Amino acid sequence: MNPRPAWKETWRRFARNKPALLGLLIIALLLFTALFAPLLAPYDFSKTNLDNVEKPPSAEHLLGTDALGRDMLSRIIYGARSVVFVIIVVATISLTFGLLLGAMAGYFGGLSDTLISRLIDFLFAFPDLLFIFFIAATIKPGIVTQLRTIALANQWPWLTEFVRSGYADYLVVIISLSLLGWAGLARLVRGQILALREKEFVLSAQLVGVSNWRIITRYLLPNSLAPILVAISMGLGGIALSEGILAYLGIGLQPPNPSWGIILSDHVVRYWRTWPEMIWMIFIPFIIMAAVVFAFNFVGDGLNEALNPELQ
Amino acid sequence: MSTETQTTPPAPATGSAQANASTDANGAILSIRNLKKYFPITQGIIFQKKVADVKAVDGISFDVKPGETLGLVGESGCGKSTTGRTILQLYRPTEGSVLFEGKDLATLKGEELRKMRSNMQMIFQDPYASLNPRMTVGDIIAEPLEVHNIAKGKEKKERVQELLQVVGLNPYFINRYPHEFSGGQRQRIGIARALAVNPDFIVCDEPISALDVSIQAQIVNLLEELQERFGLTYLFIAHDLSVVRHISDRIAVMYLGKIVELTDGHTLYANPLHPYTRALLSAVPIPDPLIEEKRERIILVGDVPSPVNPPKGCRFHTRCPLAIPICKEVAPEWRDVGNGHFVECHVV
Amino acid sequence: MGNILLDVRNLRTEFATQDGVVHAVNGVTFHLEEGETLGLVGESGSGKSVSMLTVMRLIPMPPGRIASGEVLFQGQDLLKLGDEEMRQIRGNKIAMVFQDPMTSLNPVLTIGTQITEALELHLGMNKDKARKRAAELLKMVNIPEAERRLDDYPHQFSGGMRQRVMIAMGLSCSPQLLIADEPTTALDVTIQAQITDIVKRLKNELGMSIIWITHDLGVIAGLADRINVMYSGYIVETAPVKELFANPLHPYTVGLLGSIPRLDEGRREKLTPIEGLPPDLVNLPTGCPFYDRCKFRTEKCLQENPPLMSVGVKHWSACWHYEAVREQRDAILGRKFMQPAAA
Repeated sequence: MNPRPAWKETWRRFARNKPALLGLLIIALLLFTALFAPLLAPYDFSKTNLDNVEKPPSAEHLLGTDALGRDMLSRIIYGARSVVFVIIVVATISLTFGLLLGAMAGYFGGLSDTLISRLIDFLFAFPDLLFIFFIAATIKPGIVTQLRTIALANQWPWLTEFVRSGYADYLVVIISLSLLGWAGLARLVRGQILALREKEFVLSAQLVGVSNWRIITRYLLPNSLAPILVAISMGLGGIALSEGILAYLGIGLQPPNPSWGIILSDHVVRYWRTWPEMIWMIFIPFIIMAAVVFAFNFVGDGLNEALNPELQ
Repeated sequence: MSTETQTTPPAPATGSAQANASTDANGAILSIRNLKKYFPITQGIIFQKKVADVKAVDGISFDVKPGETLGLVGESGCGKSTTGRTILQLYRPTEGSVLFEGKDLATLKGEELRKMRSNMQMIFQDPYASLNPRMTVGDIIAEPLEVHNIAKGKEKKERVQELLQVVGLNPYFINRYPHEFSGGQRQRIGIARALAVNPDFIVCDEPISALDVSIQAQIVNLLEELQERFGLTYLFIAHDLSVVRHISDRIAVMYLGKIVELTDGHTLYANPLHPYTRALLSAVPIPDPLIEEKRERIILVGDVPSPVNPPKGCRFHTRCPLAIPICKEVAPEWRDVGNGHFVECHVV
Repeated sequence: MGNILLDVRNLRTEFATQDGVVHAVNGVTFHLEEGETLGLVGESGSGKSVSMLTVMRLIPMPPGRIASGEVLFQGQDLLKLGDEEMRQIRGNKIAMVFQDPMTSLNPVLTIGTQITEALELHLGMNKDKARKRAAELLKMVNIPEAERRLDDYPHQFSGGMRQRVMIAMGLSCSPQLLIADEPTTALDVTIQAQITDIVKRLKNELGMSIIWITHDLGVIAGLADRINVMYSGYIVETAPVKELFANPLHPYTVGLLGSIPRLDEGRREKLTPIEGLPPDLVNLPTGCPFYDRCKFRTEKCLQENPPLMSVGVKHWSACWHYEAVREQRDAILGRKFMQPAAA
């Protein structure tokens, strides 16, 4: 039995892992960029300037300009905003449903377990990325028309504006990613709870008369925190990647929304042919995206080792 | 952590030493009648159907008198722990009644059952698994006080510190986490938690078997002191007959889901009737080479059969050195052979 | 009896951990005669298992380190042998049986395969011969239908049977020494009785020596010729079994005897626990390791760790105050110890 390591001890073990520290730094940078995008971005990310197209990096445009003369740095900074927004919302939704349903299935068992577990199995029966594409592509037109109808029916000009501005794209991305995100967490939480449910400290809480809700929140979930944390940090990288791929394929975020996937898809088409000229137009967004995905994985790995010292 | 601290606790806890638990007509605090607990073995994914039962406890009856210690002894898989948990309704009985202070717990549900919980508690085997690693010692012991609205705020804290003292721990430990304690100390914390609700009856489920020899005696002594002080009634479950003999007034011997013999400790040792009891007694080593030299062991052949398909007739007949033909066919009855000495065997 | 089979001298084993160096075995010296059964008694952390794992060279290094000592087996220092030579000795001349029979067997191989493997490897037997011998071995440990059961997998055996299989495997190459590390701790008493019964019989039949590691004074009382009592990495008392139980001369031994209830004693006869906890093996005191828990302690015990001193015939105790222990133990435990003539 491994006593819960104190936070200090956990941090010490985490800090020994250099890639994890680097990952943490990249994530901090990403969050900072997303939060202060308007202050950091030197230009409006969507402002075109046809007199100043396809310029290499310079003092004025640190990462150069694209075919429409937009400032690359600003586009990337705002892209960070999109990806962070998607990550936070999807993670929150997945976490809420994953914890709740997973805990229910594991703790109460019986019919609720059968239903939830079958639903999870169903969702996992398909290859996950393919499933996400499928959902995104299927629901997108539906959502847009639905929202338009609602807006018309209720005379809500702000909703019409919302749809027109392209923000509905976020809804599509968030729904399709959350649909699978909760299931992975729920499966993990259920397993953890099943293992903990028969532990004597949980039995003793039942004996004392502690309510089910309190047993779940004070006894079961806190003790399954370590693997959940690891799964989440690994999962966040996946969300970032999926957001990029969806946008790249044109079924996620679409212009005028900023997204690294959009930048990549624009540039891959345009500049691959001109290799090796202008190739940074592909590599820079690609490297940034990869760095973020790896950062989350490194942190997850670091957490895994730090929280389970017996692995070493 | 360097000190196990004193075993003799100071100043008694508030309003405790009342042993007047209510009893039923037999003068028993707890009456078990024909208690059964089967665990279903299921197959199938969506439509689960039962294919068999693990008959963990298969029809046992006994009384526990107020203030006594009833020892329940048996080997692994005999159903002794399941019995304890079923009595406390951690597992709901498949059949039978559990009359506690006159109420049948098997029929109680929800809030009613929750209220009864403050009269009966359990001390668990594994001191490393029985305390929530994410809660401080203070929170762990205070949990029952909060749940049953026994004490709040400052009063609660004082009560927790008092309980720590009662079990021989330093009251300053209140803000520490379980992993900072040794096995024996954790067991004391578990005992303090059980005492928090002022229970009349405590099931001790192998409370010392995970501890080192020199610590075991500390906990046994503590349990005995607490019993005298608070007038507690114990059901003491263990596989170690020496310890059970030491602590119990009466002893029940369990084999494969059944109680085969029940009598007071001295009679069980001096005049065991059931062949299984005799084999068990003879197998327990005595820490004295001169005695060991002369002892005749009854070595049982084979292993305990599976509780999924217990043998027909008497469950012990497959290993019994005295078995006669009827043992294979007819299950023996649970009968009193005099002076409250119960036994379930055709041969005696 | 008479010839010395195993001679362990000043053995020290340490482990490097994050909290510092754990001093698990601290200068252990003892010997074992041919045909003798030695009991190694102690609680968790007493060094009883680690010292035997060191003898068998089964300590993971690092973090483990054998800081000093000699392990003379038939005159040959095992600590100086190469890995290959040591492998020849393990399983061939010295066998070891562990506590947990569930994890000691490979679940994907049949019992027969696992026993014959050793026979073919160490004794160079051919398949048929090895199989015959394997069946004999299973019969020896009272496994019914031995021939047929050779083709069964470990999960088809109960815990007690698996432990018997482990013993059969240990005995397969007729070792001179069997080291049994709490082999019955995980088993029920009736099964434990089966196992000790078999081991006693086989010992007489095969004439091997046994080192039996246990925390249970009851089991060892009926089994051993001589007992070493260990505490925090030291042997604190050693004596022939009857002498030790009748005339314990170390406060820890007295404490152990006082803290275990006996089946032949009535209800609630006083148990005298040893108060407190064993010392931290990282920061061992310079004086006697039992000082904190001892009723006989004096200033001298704090200053100087007592060595094993001869206190009787083949009886040594590491206590400065063994005379006081002899005089006061009856009063302390409320129990009558016999007093054989001390040397």
